[in-house]
Amino acid sequence: MIPRDAAAARCRDDELVGMESAAALIRTAQTWAHDNVVPFNVSLETTLECNIRCIHCYNFDRDEPRARTRQSCRPAAAPERPRLSTDELLGLIGDVRAAGCLFLSLTGGEVLTHPDLFALLDRARELNMAVQLLTNGTMLRPGIAGKLARLPNLLGASVSLYGASAGVHDGITQVTGSFQRTWDGVERLRAAGVSVRLKYIVMRQNAHETEAMMAMATARDLPYSVDLTITARHDGSDGSLAARIDGSQLEALYRGPLRPLLPPGRRPPPPAETFNCNCARGNCAISATGEVYPCISVPWSAGNVRDRPFAEIWGRSPVFQRIRGLTLADFPQCAPCPHRGHCTHDRGAAFNATGDYTGADPFVCQTAELAHRLADESGD
Amino acid sequence: MIDASAIRRIGSLPFQKMNDETLVVDPKTREVHLLNPTASRVWELLATPQTLGDLVGSLGREFDAPAETLRADVTALLQELSGKGLIDSTGWRKDDR
Repeated sequence: MIPRDAAAARCRDDELVGMESAAALIRTAQTWAHDNVVPFNVSLETTLECNIRCIHCYNFDRDEPRARTRQSCRPAAAPERPRLSTDELLGLIGDVRAAGCLFLSLTGGEVLTHPDLFALLDRARELNMAVQLLTNGTMLRPGIAGKLARLPNLLGASVSLYGASAGVHDGITQVTGSFQRTWDGVERLRAAGVSVRLKYIVMRQNAHETEAMMAMATARDLPYSVDLTITARHDGSDGSLAARIDGSQLEALYRGPLRPLLPPGRRPPPPAETFNCNCARGNCAISATGEVYPCISVPWSAGNVRDRPFAEIWGRSPVFQRIRGLTLADFPQCAPCPHRGHCTHDRGAAFNATGDYTGADPFVCQTAELAHRLADESGD
Repeated sequence: MIDASAIRRIGSLPFQKMNDETLVVDPKTREVHLLNPTASRVWELLATPQTLGDLVGSLGREFDAPAETLRADVTALLQELSGKGLIDSTGWRKDDR
């Protein structure tokens, strides 16, 4: 993700679709959740099923049989567990609500492949939770879009987009026609009155269409985010990294279409006390098999909800206690780094690259160095 | 406002208590409201529909204020919450809102 203003949300899992106008008050609430260790934002992976086969998917390599799972994603030597049933998911929504969750993000896989999605949404409505969906948009048929629009607690949908043309987008999803179906879904949602934000993931295959994608979004008055960080997969495989842009593509983008998105001027390193993001403080994620993570980007299991109640994992897990106790000094590469003010501090990228939450992903470091250099060149 | 009418929260609005304040989210209007401690207490009491008299009675047992002052303050607060679309009432006149 492009580095944001210092006053912005602490990490990407805090970002809410459709609530841009209320950002200041929501930031206040997110800070309260961080300071009081309340799981205000929970991402719930409802399924691993997906109807497209993106080459960069972070779940697992969809072109291969599922063979591996990163050891840290679940307790050592434990076999992979079956996915949570609908009843388990319904119970879990109640559990996270009881612990203080207000903003529930439902994701996948493709969330719309879940056969009981609307039962989950109804449960969240009954419990006065605000919900957003993360989707590829291809299954947003007219009836579905209308039904979603009638949900009074739906914030909106974040829709993934991988190109400005069908050829590029469909090449990444490996499903012919997916580009058109995604746009059809976006338009149906908007026509029904649902807030939509596009999420553009930049890769080697689509970097050249970044400017065109931004123009498409702007022409349609659609908010969007641009994410440059492709990570290794949660199953431990790293074939997804082949889709990462290289240094020359990064520089061309930062000097070109993405330049206006970079915060202007030199940015001093943030104070040490604000270095930690909202992982395991205001945010957490729960995998389709019940593993509880500090956020959806960091597959470091703090426990499984089938073994212990969510509240116990949230309150007592050694993994979460460790994360909450970290200070800037515990991040050996970040602490002395002169580019910290221009860095995303992406813990998911670091963890997936190194297996260490306090590590650093060389690509993220490269991005920060470049952003810093451009700020210096601008002389602001 | 009619004294005997039942006042209620707009049932499906997402909200979360934050210590003695309450954050209420309205996805349809894209607005977020932070209720102060008194408004939060009223919001809490409105988990079940209440008349103005019920509310004033409940709050009178918690706040050291003359009944008439309390009634006027609660009425003003309810008008404000109604204006924000957070509550409604079975008996509100159109020009009360």
